[in-house]
Amino acid sequence: MKRWFGVALGIVTSIGGFLEIGSITTAAQAGADYRYQLAWSIVLGTICIALLIEMSGRFAAVSKHTIADAMRERFGLHFFMVPLVLVFFVSLLVLAAEIGGVAVSIELVTGIHYPLWALPAALLAWALLWYGTFSIIENGISLLGLVTVSFAVAAVHLGPDWHALASGLAPSLPSKEPAHYWFIAVSVLGASVSPYLFYFYSSGAIEEKWDVTHLGPNRVIAAIGMGFGGFLSVAVLVVAALVFAPRGIKVEEYTQLPLLLSAPWGRVGFGLFAGSLFITCLGATAEIALALAYKIAQGFGWNWGEDLGPSDDARFSLTYTLILLVSMLLVLVGIDPLKLTTLSMALTAASLPVAILPFLILMNDSKYLGEHTNGWLGNLAILVISVLSGIVAVVSIPLEIIGGS
Amino acid sequence: MQLLLVRDVLDNQLVDASGKNAGKVDGIILELREGQPPCVRYVEVGPITLTRRLNRRLGRWFARLDARFGSGRGVPIRFPLTRITFEEPSLRIDVLVEHTPIMALEQWLRRTIVRRIPGS
Repeated sequence: MKRWFGVALGIVTSIGGFLEIGSITTAAQAGADYRYQLAWSIVLGTICIALLIEMSGRFAAVSKHTIADAMRERFGLHFFMVPLVLVFFVSLLVLAAEIGGVAVSIELVTGIHYPLWALPAALLAWALLWYGTFSIIENGISLLGLVTVSFAVAAVHLGPDWHALASGLAPSLPSKEPAHYWFIAVSVLGASVSPYLFYFYSSGAIEEKWDVTHLGPNRVIAAIGMGFGGFLSVAVLVVAALVFAPRGIKVEEYTQLPLLLSAPWGRVGFGLFAGSLFITCLGATAEIALALAYKIAQGFGWNWGEDLGPSDDARFSLTYTLILLVSMLLVLVGIDPLKLTTLSMALTAASLPVAILPFLILMNDSKYLGEHTNGWLGNLAILVISVLSGIVAVVSIPLEIIGGS
Repeated sequence: MQLLLVRDVLDNQLVDASGKNAGKVDGIILELREGQPPCVRYVEVGPITLTRRLNRRLGRWFARLDARFGSGRGVPIRFPLTRITFEEPSLRIDVLVEHTPIMALEQWLRRTIVRRIPGS
């Protein structure tokens, strides 16, 4: 009974924690610019992250190692440093975007410009980590994130063209501006397949002392939780296609975003959007800061654990403190949260081969997984998605920046 | 039981006698003996060995910095291999890590910063 309660909770928190500034913004841009045509990129990203989450949970449950710990052990110090440094810098930008998301949501309600809210936003996330426990962050915040289900209700309420949406689920060549199309497609992928997520998930599995009996629930949580999360992303795309595209609005300012819910529901919708952005970005801020601190602490063999008091793991606690401080500064100096989000999502996609391929090697090592190593289908799917998204991102980022199409 | 030094020892997690994390095995020291095969003597732990592996100059700089923190510092932290047992998924070392220089930075941060913040 307790196990199935855990599964239900895991599914609910995966759904509540799926959307954040990256997935909301990129799905909104996709819907505004290409209506339903890019829905496939969300589906592809969701399949990829569901597979990766299942793998990282399985890895921790069977091997009792976190991914960062095993990467250092398996590949040695030098090779460990490459994905560490790369994922670290890309995730710092993503973290800044999430802090920006919290700050923007407060600006929407108070009218006071977002940079002023950077410090309170970072401080709030820090307090959650310093004073809270793993389950408060994992369960509490993600449960509140269920407010994002309002996007799905809005999508149905607005009445999408189901036939067009269904045909958007299959990849197709761009109808206009090909460079921009591929840029948005990889940004969507980067927003779904965030490497920090599986470092966070495998650390959580170790914190909660998973073993092989958790493999079944792990599979169910990854498939259903991530599946419904992806469904919410598609809902954002649908709402954007119905709200932005007919009005000819391109998402270029973060202040345009609340229209997603205020168009169908007025002030209530505006409040729901601000609430959704606040809670999901706050959760993501805490998770990313924690995931990066986990990666460093595990890579260097320190004591770590969100359930330990800060004085029992001083290096770990000060690492997430410092990470939050640095990212917060990017928002404080007034870098536009929307531009930061789009760029950091595309950079995440570009970094995927380096971040994911070593993990794939670990997933096929019987020293860690015994009989639970990956099947060929999972290997092939992750290999193709991560390499393709890396190549397309590297090509489309410069084109997007110079404004070519 | 066969042990592969690079795969099973180097960069593996060390835990102390109480089960607390005690860093990674950052280096392995072999003794070269006249007329006999080399013998594995010690494992090294800590940032001096770690930074030296990344870059020799960085390692020397770090050792000089570390030496300022008291006598006995500025040299790699070393444990005889005889004090280590192999317990999956880690290597266990029969010391209490809080009493070793491995935790010097952790203890300093705890004393000077973390304990001054409420709720630590």
